[in-house]
Amino acid sequence: MRIRSGLWRVAELPTTRAGVERAFSYFTAGVRLGTVAQMVPAVQLGAARASHEAGYLACWGAAALAAVAVSVVTLVRRRPPGTAVSVLDFGLACALLVLGPLVLAPWDRFGTWTAFQPGYALSVIITAGGVRGLGVWAASLLAVSLSYVVYLGGDVGSEMTSTAVGNVLTYVVYALVARMFFGYTRRIARDADASRARAAELARREEERRAQVMMHNGVAVMRLLTEQGDDVSRARLVGQAEVELRRMRSYLRGGDAYASEGEGPSAGLVPVVRRVCERFADLNVVASLDLGTGLRIPAAQAEALERALGSLLLNVRVHARAHEVVVHLDGTGEGGWTLTVHDDGVGFDPASVTAGVGLREVVVGELRRRGLAVGIVSAAGEGTTVTVRSRPGPEAAPPPEPALPTVRAAFADAP
Amino acid sequence: MAVVDDASLIRESIGLLMPGLDVVAAVATVEELVRRAPAVDVVLLDLHLANLEQQPDARQGIAAIRTLTRHGYRVCVYSQEERRFVLAACLAAGASGIVSKALPRDRAEQLFLDVAAGGTVVPQPVVGILEVLVRRDCITLLSERQRQILHGRARGLSYAQVARELFVSESTLRGYWFDLTKSLSGSLRGLTPGEIERALGLAPGDLLEFWADPTEEADGADRKEWWRIGGRGGR
Repeated sequence: MRIRSGLWRVAELPTTRAGVERAFSYFTAGVRLGTVAQMVPAVQLGAARASHEAGYLACWGAAALAAVAVSVVTLVRRRPPGTAVSVLDFGLACALLVLGPLVLAPWDRFGTWTAFQPGYALSVIITAGGVRGLGVWAASLLAVSLSYVVYLGGDVGSEMTSTAVGNVLTYVVYALVARMFFGYTRRIARDADASRARAAELARREEERRAQVMMHNGVAVMRLLTEQGDDVSRARLVGQAEVELRRMRSYLRGGDAYASEGEGPSAGLVPVVRRVCERFADLNVVASLDLGTGLRIPAAQAEALERALGSLLLNVRVHARAHEVVVHLDGTGEGGWTLTVHDDGVGFDPASVTAGVGLREVVVGELRRRGLAVGIVSAAGEGTTVTVRSRPGPEAAPPPEPALPTVRAAFADAP
Repeated sequence: MAVVDDASLIRESIGLLMPGLDVVAAVATVEELVRRAPAVDVVLLDLHLANLEQQPDARQGIAAIRTLTRHGYRVCVYSQEERRFVLAACLAAGASGIVSKALPRDRAEQLFLDVAAGGTVVPQPVVGILEVLVRRDCITLLSERQRQILHGRARGLSYAQVARELFVSESTLRGYWFDLTKSLSGSLRGLTPGEIERALGLAPGDLLEFWADPTEEADGADRKEWWRIGGRGGR
């Protein structure tokens, strides 16, 4: 049960950089201890056949001890050996190879675990593939290859030459593969970490935007409440404040204030627009909605539209100094529609004015997210016209044009 | 021009506050104006003229408009009435213009002068009704250009904005609008309430509250019912 539990934890390793290093430590320990496991059965025979038994056992013991030590250290530190340990590791592997001719006869230096030195050196090469410095890694690989040549000495028969060359190539190829494996896996982990960080940042921004959208109209109403002393206007604003309060409560409860597109029943477009206009009766709003009679839109669109229209009329109240606001709804056939909100106020220059949260997020951002096109045309002294249009289906939609770096262009998808 | 308003302060002060106007008569009732018969370009008419203390039986509303137009006057309604069907009924009864008392003084003065010069001033809510009537083929507009102008004006766009969209000068567009509103008002007078109800998707009889029966005599015995707009007053 404990083993099963341990394996389960391995399978649950996080796909982070730390998790990958931890996995590398498991890999390193596995390879090194596996090598020791392969060395153990041959030790008795090796010692018996060795030309220098004590020397052979000393070399074997050093290799086994180093392998176990490296395994323990990597498991404890939860990452593969660093540069210093790897250099020492390579040094020991080279020393064992160089000492090989002193403890083993030439005919015993090939092909079996009696001659454990080449196999041990290979395990070091594989597990040191993750060493950070490329120079250290390359130099160590070269040193092991040269040590192997020394290990073979001049006694290799012609029939074993191909095996010797093959072993050297094995060192090189395994070293490259191991390094690629370590490097690529680390890159994946780094990218995963970066992606998670970006996703978290985007989620934070989205939450911030949602909060802005939810709070904006309420803040504007509260600001008006604190500024306007007239009892009649305050009473009117209290009604709007209650609407915004309900909306903010719904957001704080995590309710369905942000229902996704298409969810919920559809809503009559005219009642939605009329409801908002009635909340702003003091602005002299002329609502010409007859041409939109009978139109229905998804509940989520209605919610966004109600909030956007409220924000627009709040803008008119606060900034426009308009005599009249015309809210015009026109059905364009097959369920399509266009809502135009025009005020004859002071207007603004789109090229020089930075859009606030209201226009940018509550109106343009939210309506576009709900699949509606928005256009804002304004000029100083000529009032402001905002056009909201239901978009055609995707098959009929024209290809998007490249955006120009002006506010006007950013708000110009509903001509 | 002449002013008919039961509020003495308003009728006496208009000439003083609007120096561009030459007010030759300021009276409290339509009957008094007809009796004096001044020669004027336009009569500014308040819709609600009856009051219990001074003139409970004064002719008002649609009846007042008809009386004045029958005597050859151009009528510009000057009222705080906001109900769009009431305003449309005034145009249908023969008024040449409707100006809200809520408008700034200089703007109202300019609109009075426009009516006096032969123009037709249609308030925005009625422009919306006229657009619906045109779109539903209840009123026929001959040219595409007229439809485009009505399209822009119904959305509240200024003369300058519509003119830019149509690539004409603002003065040209004002001329087009001058002719168009006159034509639309004339067409509105030719429609029956039933036709308008059908075009606007209203139930039969919905307009009876606002629209006077065109066959009624202005001086009939049931004169007090000519103004059947009930509910809140427009002052």
